[in-house]
Order: sequence, then structure tokens, then C-alpha cells
Amino acid sequence: MTDDELVYRRVFRAPRDLVWRCLTEPAELQHFWGPHGMATPVDGIVVELRPGGRFETLMLGGSGSHRMVATFTEVVPPQRLAWVEPASGMHTTSTLDDLGDGSTAVVIHQRYVPQALRAPEARAGFLTSLDKLERHLARLVQGDRS
Amino acid sequence: MGTTVEDQRLDALFTALADRTRRDIVARLSEGEATVKELAAPYVMSMQAVSQHIRVLERSGLISRGRHRQTRPCRLEPAALETAVSWIEQSRRTWSERMDRLDAHLARRQAGEDR
Repeated sequence: MTDDELVYRRVFRAPRDLVWRCLTEPAELQHFWGPHGMATPVDGIVVELRPGGRFETLMLGGSGSHRMVATFTEVVPPQRLAWVEPASGMHTTSTLDDLGDGSTAVVIHQRYVPQALRAPEARAGFLTSLDKLERHLARLVQGDRS
Repeated sequence: MGTTVEDQRLDALFTALADRTRRDIVARLSEGEATVKELAAPYVMSMQAVSQHIRVLERSGLISRGRHRQTRPCRLEPAALETAVSWIEQSRRTWSERMDRLDAHLARRQAGEDR
């Protein structure tokens, strides 16, 4: 784990196969995918579980709807799942780790990859910039602005 | 689905910040406003090249330039930085809350019917 990516890690008391199913089956996704106050109806979820396949969710709320449109880039059951959202360039990778005691660690890596930055050398610069950005902002928030 | 205005803003912001010289300029402007000439002083590159970087930063909204004085000093726009950081924060929150719900869902799944 490096500090230049967005990383979320959580341990679930559930076997890895079940966690994998929850992350890849519309019937399961509908129960937890959408943000609080929004519904994610099962018939609005598309999962074509193969590299290049579609991954789409429709989230409905009182104040409007949000549609996530993504393409799977990596599908390795039951351990690795990655997709990219072409509209925003957001790249998300989920890694499922069997901890051997009936629990599963899930790590989500998320990178924002704007069109102009998809080249590896540009990406390195982008990740460094996120670091710097946070430091700058911390300084500004501390009232260091002139 | 097309890109939203917000996506375009973020693209411009992150593109602007992907370059070392431009990050350096942003860092220096966090200490106070400066003219293009002052900003160009430490670099070997031409004034023109520095002006080009400044135009990219200006388009991204990260900096603005004075309208009145002839030197048109550059200054940082903290709100633009906050936009980028709040995007980071929002993603973090989305996933953190989603994981909470998955946790509850897994508990229910295992307590009740296990297919």
C-alpha cells in the first residue's frame, strides 16, 4: 500500500466466495451498492463478468438518479475485479484476500485517470500531484493564505 | 453518457497539476501573488514557456490574474484546490459507506438463508 493512491481496506467476517458473489451478482449488489437514500433496483444493474464486459448500475433517489457506466478490465474470480469508468477515467480495482479464518479482506484501489494522463509517465506525475495537493490544502486551511 | 462539467473541471485540474513546473508554480503562489516575470526567474526556460504553463493553470481555475495592473500578478485560487480534494474525500466516503452496507448485508446473508 502506498499513500499516493486512494485505498480502502475492510475485513468482512464472511468467506471469500460469498463476498465475491456480493460484489458481482446484481441480486446481491442491489442491497448495498447505492449510497444512503438511493435505491439500486436489480433490473438497473448490468454485470457482464468478463474483461471488456459492461458493469452498470442505476441509482435512484428522491433528488434524481445517477448511472454508473463502467467496463471490466480484469475479472479473476474470486480474488480480483477491476473496472474503468470511461466518462470520468476513474479506475477501480477490488482485491479479495482469504484470511484463512473464514474472513475476507477487501481492498479497493481507486485512481482517477484523466484522458490526458493515461500514459505511465504522466500518471506518476499525477499521483505525486495528489500528495502535494493535500499538503497544500492543509497549509491553506491552517490559515496560511496570504 | 457524456462527461459532466464537473468531470471536465477535474480533468483540467489534474492535468494542470500533473506537470512538475506547474506544481512548483502553485507551491510558490501559495506564499503570495507574483508576476509572470517573478515566477519565471528561477527557471532556465523562456518567459514564453513559463507563460504557457501559467495559461494552463489559469484555464484550470487554479490561479487567476489581476485585471488592472500592467503586470497582472498571478494568485492562487484555493477553491479550485478544494474541488480536487473534495473529489478525493467524496470517493473515500462513498466506498467507506458502501463497505458498511456490504458488511450488514453479509451478516444478514449468513444469518438467514444461505444459498
